[in-house]
This record gives sequence, structure tokens and C-alpha cells, in this order.
Amino acid sequence: MPEEIATKENLKLLVEGKLDWEGVKRLIHLSPKDKDRFWKYLEVLQEKVPWKDKILLRISDHLYIVAKKGGDRVVKCDCGHEFGDYRANWKLSCRIYVRKTLEEMAEVVSVEEALPYPELVEIREFYCPGCFAQLGVEIVPMGHPVLFEILPDLDTFYRVWLGKPIEDEKPAWFTDKTWDLTAKWAKGG
Amino acid sequence: MGICYQGKPLKEAVAEKERIFKETGYAYGLKEIKLVESDPAKFMRFQLRLVAACISARETAKLISANPVAMLQGELLFMLANPEGDCIAASYGLAGHIQAFPFIIRSIANLGFEEDPGINVGDIFATNDSYYGAPHNADNYNWVPVFHKDELIAWSVGLNHIVDVGGLQPGNLGTISPNTFTDGFIYPPTKTGENFRQHGWWALHWKRRTRTEAFNVLDDKMRTAGAVSLHNKILEIVEEFGVDYFRQGLREVIERERRVLVERIKAMAVPGKYGYLHLSTVKYKGVVGTLFATSNRDWVLHEPAELNVLRDGKLFVDVEGLTSEADFHCNGSESAVRMLSSLGCWPMFAYTLTLNTALQYMTDWNLPPGSMFNPQNPYAATVMSLSETGKMIWMFHNTLSLAYFTRGFLEECDPEDACGVGYGMAGVLADGFPWAGGDMALITCWSANALPYKDGELAYFCAPNPQPDQGETESSEFLQPTNLTIGKKFIPNYCGHGKFRGGLGIGMCQLIVDPGQYLVIAGFAATGGMMRVAMGMCGGYPGPNDIIYFAHDTNMRELLAEGKTYPRDFVEIGKWIKEGKLKAGSVDLFKGAAPNIPCKDGDLFSSATSAMGGWGDPLEREFALIEKDVHYGWITPDVAATVYGAVIDDEGKVKVAESQDLRKKMRNKRRERSVDTKEWWKKEREQVLRKAFSEDVYNMYADCLKYSKFRSDFTAMWQVPADYKL
Repeated sequence: MPEEIATKENLKLLVEGKLDWEGVKRLIHLSPKDKDRFWKYLEVLQEKVPWKDKILLRISDHLYIVAKKGGDRVVKCDCGHEFGDYRANWKLSCRIYVRKTLEEMAEVVSVEEALPYPELVEIREFYCPGCFAQLGVEIVPMGHPVLFEILPDLDTFYRVWLGKPIEDEKPAWFTDKTWDLTAKWAKGG
Repeated sequence: MGICYQGKPLKEAVAEKERIFKETGYAYGLKEIKLVESDPAKFMRFQLRLVAACISARETAKLISANPVAMLQGELLFMLANPEGDCIAASYGLAGHIQAFPFIIRSIANLGFEEDPGINVGDIFATNDSYYGAPHNADNYNWVPVFHKDELIAWSVGLNHIVDVGGLQPGNLGTISPNTFTDGFIYPPTKTGENFRQHGWWALHWKRRTRTEAFNVLDDKMRTAGAVSLHNKILEIVEEFGVDYFRQGLREVIERERRVLVERIKAMAVPGKYGYLHLSTVKYKGVVGTLFATSNRDWVLHEPAELNVLRDGKLFVDVEGLTSEADFHCNGSESAVRMLSSLGCWPMFAYTLTLNTALQYMTDWNLPPGSMFNPQNPYAATVMSLSETGKMIWMFHNTLSLAYFTRGFLEECDPEDACGVGYGMAGVLADGFPWAGGDMALITCWSANALPYKDGELAYFCAPNPQPDQGETESSEFLQPTNLTIGKKFIPNYCGHGKFRGGLGIGMCQLIVDPGQYLVIAGFAATGGMMRVAMGMCGGYPGPNDIIYFAHDTNMRELLAEGKTYPRDFVEIGKWIKEGKLKAGSVDLFKGAAPNIPCKDGDLFSSATSAMGGWGDPLEREFALIEKDVHYGWITPDVAATVYGAVIDDEGKVKVAESQDLRKKMRNKRRERSVDTKEWWKKEREQVLRKAFSEDVYNMYADCLKYSKFRSDFTAMWQVPADYKL
């Protein structure tokens, strides 16, 4: 029976990494999955964060897309720091540290022989400007565009897949706005 | 009069399948699946009879093989396809190959095989040609038509991965090949037998064109015997259920499971766009010399993908920005992309009652013409196409893991990455006997990436093969007596770090003994010195590089004679050399594939792989988990401190107060040495404007900027002119 294992309490334990492996396996074996999972997940998450903004979607360990009262949908860290419109890659609103030398890379790649070639790639670490949690890591050549991990189609998700539309639907919510930010920077903004 | 149902020619039947799906959105236009719905129990019995027939064919036929890769390590598959080429059922084994078979059938239909050489009862066909649908020449297909009266009702197929393909390098996965003529033995679709027997001339090709004739001839017999055995079983099933039920049932399997897959995506994912990137290198400079002038260079391979989870639950993958086709071994066809990438689909959402090609009815790809995955040169080398198309397996694993994470199905997250160290070898023994071999043992037991709630498992699975087995070291040593395995173990600290760390990589060490006149080893690997996937999960680090390592002219023989211990992996070899415990004349270290390396008696050959990525910020790792790592020797105390901010005492316990203080300092260090992304962008932009890239990176960008999507992203990211040129 789905409700025996897919409870809100067990989901909370899973989110915290504390659900025992037997419990996780029972969740994996669950077929069909509990249909209200997303709503239970939102409840668990909402109870964990110290702020009241409504979570629309969790997009990383620490990051959430939340609905602001003024109508914006922004990325927010569980520490409370806000990164701006979710349609622009949140990494561009982080603090960043770039490891370029073997010595710098060896701090986080612990087998010397297996280090990457520094002439080919750099290690980019993205931190939350509020709590300095490490939110993302990229290992890419210098000059590579920052990778956008997820741009969700929230309106389709809520209306078509969940059957509970968000109030302020509009087609523009599913548009990548990342380069608006770099264009603004280029103009000195 | 054609051979398909109601006298339709094969070419017409294949074209109609594609047209009807395009027009209706249903496989074979089946808006209703009557057999499934009218008697589901009977249908399930029917479907499982098909699967059982495939498994039976595999389990009996594999005993004919002498090739350890097939016989022991499970690199084979038997499958049943309908006349149009859709696979309906398969044994366990190299599951992805069901995705390639429809391309092969489309090829022989369009080549007019029905007229010449004809498709008749008892015929045996074979191919391993990427140009006609096979993924690469290591994977060989034999297939037999199944007729009921005069109607073609199915194909029975045998497939396995052979030991040596007769290429420029020994083995089956060469990593140096400028064109198809250096790939080795490639044969387009060919009628190789009649009356359920292979022609005698066919074995001569294996004997003359590959290095491991005995293995390859026996493998061909295995594939044929299994396909014929399955053919006979299929006719028994037709007898039991009736030909009308059989014909319709095969189609309903595809349509029913297409619906299951779409609904599963809608039930567990979130629609939207998901980014992914993998990078690798190809190092030919100085290796192929002037003989192949266009190949005498190095490449950085750029392999981006955008997974679009669409409103209707279908998936669309856009790889625009992918490195262009070139005179190297990595080019791949659409069949190779679909074949290998499906291995990321099975575990993530395409697990259904049987292996089948329903997946092709809900996934679509943009493979730009002229890119590495859609070469326009018919002579493009493809011997190791799977190395790069395989990166798309991990695209599905990683992007869908994030999709499931956002939806709350954490237990379904399974980010993974490539594991691919193995080797081919060839030599001449002291008595003049030429021989060849190879091994893929480390590919059969991967560690896993970290999950959002736990560490990655250790050496427990093989993503491309749901039924792998490491085999027995003794069997390998019997077949390849020059390579004595003296070590196989996990390597401490060899993982991607994170709140949950990736599974540790596994390493192997072999001593070369009595190689005779000549021995070369050609190692292949899944990385290219640029780590694994380019993007860690939620703040965790991607896994470190695969390693191929040789220590030449060692005194290992003397140490063994003296009863001394010996090193068990490349880290220990390196450490012993530094400490003077082991003498070595020279060392070759590769962070990816290696060329042919000559080896002598007493040399050490070591390799390591499957050091997988972490999940989350390492500074959030629980102290209890770190203590466990230190206790088992997975993580050393110094790394516990420098990466995880945990101070370990003499008894292996975490000093909590000191560790909390250390973590605070480490977070402060992040604050001090990081900058706002905007500030970093300004400086990096100057570099981009100055075009201050290293040579290989410069060439990579120069190539990828030919593709409009990447050009658009690149120029917008750095706000450089739209006609920015390299």
C-alpha cells in the first residue's frame, strides 16, 4: 500500500538523508508512485525553510523557486538569500571561485595522478552569497558559457501535469532570460 | 508480391510504419490495443513466452563461445523483432542493441535485399557496419528471417561484442583510427548463410581479417545457433497463439509500452529544459605521424546536450554545438546514439515488462549534419563511437535525476557517469606464435555516483549491461598468460567529493611475464583528462579521471623472488617509486585512452576507473559518515580535513569542536577568495576578447562556433560581437 511507506514523515527523512535503505528500497519498488508526492514534498520543504515565501519548485539542495507577493518568481536559498528571476541562470548571481592551477585543483581532487589538465579546464565553484554553501561545480574550459541546469516550464507543470494552475500564468514564464543579465552587465549595469 | 503481410514488400512496410506514426502519434496507428485490453492475462503470457524464448537462446548458445567477454562477462544479446525491425523482446545482456536493429532493417529494406540477394527461409544475414545501422564493428549482429508460410513474421537476432576487430590497434575498442579503413574488419549487411548454416567462406573472413580467429569464428557460430534456436521457438509460439495474434501482438507491445513511458515521465519529472555537458580529449598528435596528416593533432571534444521534457511527456534532445566529425575514432551514427543512450533510459524511466523499441516512439534527437554524431563522410572512423555517444547515457541519468529531485522522487535519482577502462593486446610469443586478446573486467563492476540521500555504492553494477559479471581472473590469465594480475582494489580518496561522496574507483595492477618476442597493450578509458561530467550535482564534485599507467623496467621480479609484498594500484606504484621501494626505468601515465604501449617482462600495467561524482556541498557531510570512511580506509585523515573540514584524532574519531571551527574557517575562506560572478565575468570576458585560449581549447571553440545555437549562447554569455571569430 503506497501510504504505508510514502508518508510525509518518511519523505522528510529521505530529504534529510536519514531514511534507512530498506525504506528507500520500498519507495523505489512503489508502483504506481504516490500521486500526491509533489504536494507532500512541498509541505516538507516549506516546513524546513525559515521564510514564508511560497515554494513553487526545489531546483537544488539549497535552492527553491518561490512566488513573491509582488508577482515575481525568484530563486531563493534556504538561508534567505535571493538570486532574482528564475528564468536567468542563478549561477550568474553567485559568488564564484575558480581553480586554475594544479595546486588549486589538488585541494578538491585528492589523487594527484587523476587531476584534470589545467591547460584545458578550470574548476568553477559557485557559492551562495548569503551562507557560502557550495551550490554548484563546473569543470569546463576557460570561456565556456555558464551551464544552465534547469529552466522548468512551471505553468505547464502546474496546469497540465498537476491540474492546479498557478494564478499568474503567462507564456513568458518559460523563457530563458540569462543573457538579459549579461547584456545589462555589458552596458555597465 | 512482397514478403510481408498481405504481400507488402519489406521496404514499403518499413516506410509505412514511420509514416503512420508520424500521422497518428500511435505506433502502427494503434489507437486501441485490443489484445492487451480484451485479455491482459493471455497477453502477458504471450509476451513472457517471447522473452523466455530469447533468454533460452542466450543461455544455450553462449556455451558455444570461448570469448570471455561473451561467455563470462555477459556481452551478448538475443532478440526478437517484428518485420519492420521493432524489437519486441530480448534476453538479458547488452540491452541497448535493440535500439540499433530497426536501423539495420531499414537499411536492408532500402538496399533492396528482398530482390537481391533475396530473403528466404533459412537465410542468415550479418553486419557490424555503422553506416548501415550497427553501432560499431565490435558489436556483431547475425539474424534470421522467420516465415509463416510465405509471410515474413519476425526476425530472430543474435549479437555479441567480439574480442578483436582487426583494427589499427589490437582489441575491440581501438582509440586510434583516422578512417574506416583503419577501423578493422567491417562488413555491410551480407547474406552469410543459407538453409540455417553459415557458408564456409564466411569463417575465412574472421580468420584473415581479425587477430582472434578462434574466438571470432566461435562467436559467429554462437550468434547463428542462438538466432536459429530462437527462430524455432518463435514458430512454436506462433503455433500456440495463432499467426494473427502473433502479428498483432508484436505491434501492441510497442504501443502499450510507448504509453507507459510517456505516462511515467509525466508522473515523475517536471517539464522544461535541462542542461548537460561532457568533455573529453583525443590525443593523436605525434602518434599517427605524417601518415595521416589530418589526424596528426589533438582535439578537445565538446559534447553538450539540452534535454527538453515536453508538455506531452515526450523527450527531445538537442546536441547542437557538438564537435564536428573528424578523422578520429569517435564518430557515431544515429543508431549508435540511440543504442547507447537508451542505456540511460532503461534505468531512469524505460523499465517495462520487456526490452523493446517503444522508446524510439517517444524520444527525438537533433543531431546536426556534419557533427560527430551525424558524419557526412561515409569513410568516417567509428570503431570507438560508443565512447562518445555513451556520454549521452549520462545525460539522461543526470538531467532526469534533477527532474525527479525537483518533483520529490528522490529515490528515483540516479546520476551516473562513464566507466570505461579496459584494454586490447597483441603480441608474438617466444616460439613465434602470434596472438591477441583483451579484457573489460573493470567495466563490469562500476561504483556509482552519490545520490541525494546516500553515498555512491562500491563496484556493484555496469550501466551498459544489466547482467554483468567480472568473470574470473584465472580465466583471463589462462587466455592471456603474459598478464598476471597482482592487485585489484578500491583506491582511497579516488572519488568525487560531496555531502554524499561518489563511489570509490577501482584499480587493477598486472605484472607482465614472459611476453616473448613482442607485446603491446592498448588501453581505453572513459575520460580524457578533463574529469567526468562537466557539472557536479548540487554542489558536489564530478568524479576524477580514469587512469592507465605503465611502469617499465621494474625490479618487480626480484621483489617477488625475495618474497616481498607488491603494489596493488597506480597510486601505490607511484608512492613506492618515490620511496625507493620499487625501481622503475620509466613511467607512462594517461588520464584517458592510451596508444599501443610496448611492454617487457617485469613491467607493471595498472589501470583504474569508476571514481564517481558526489552530491552536495562537502562541508555538509555528516561527521559520522566521515568517521566511517576513515575507519574503512576510503578517505584518509588529511583529505577528511582539507576537503570535508573534519579533524580526525589518533583513534579515527572526528574532533567535533575543532571540526566545526575548521568548517567555519573554510567557509570564511570561500568568502575571502570568491568574487561576485559579475566581477569574474568582466575579467573572463577580457580573456575571451583576447582569444587567450590554449591551442586545443581554441580549436574546440573555433569548431563549435560554427553551430548557431552554441554561437548564440557563447556570444550572449560574453557579449561579444555576433561575428566573433577564431
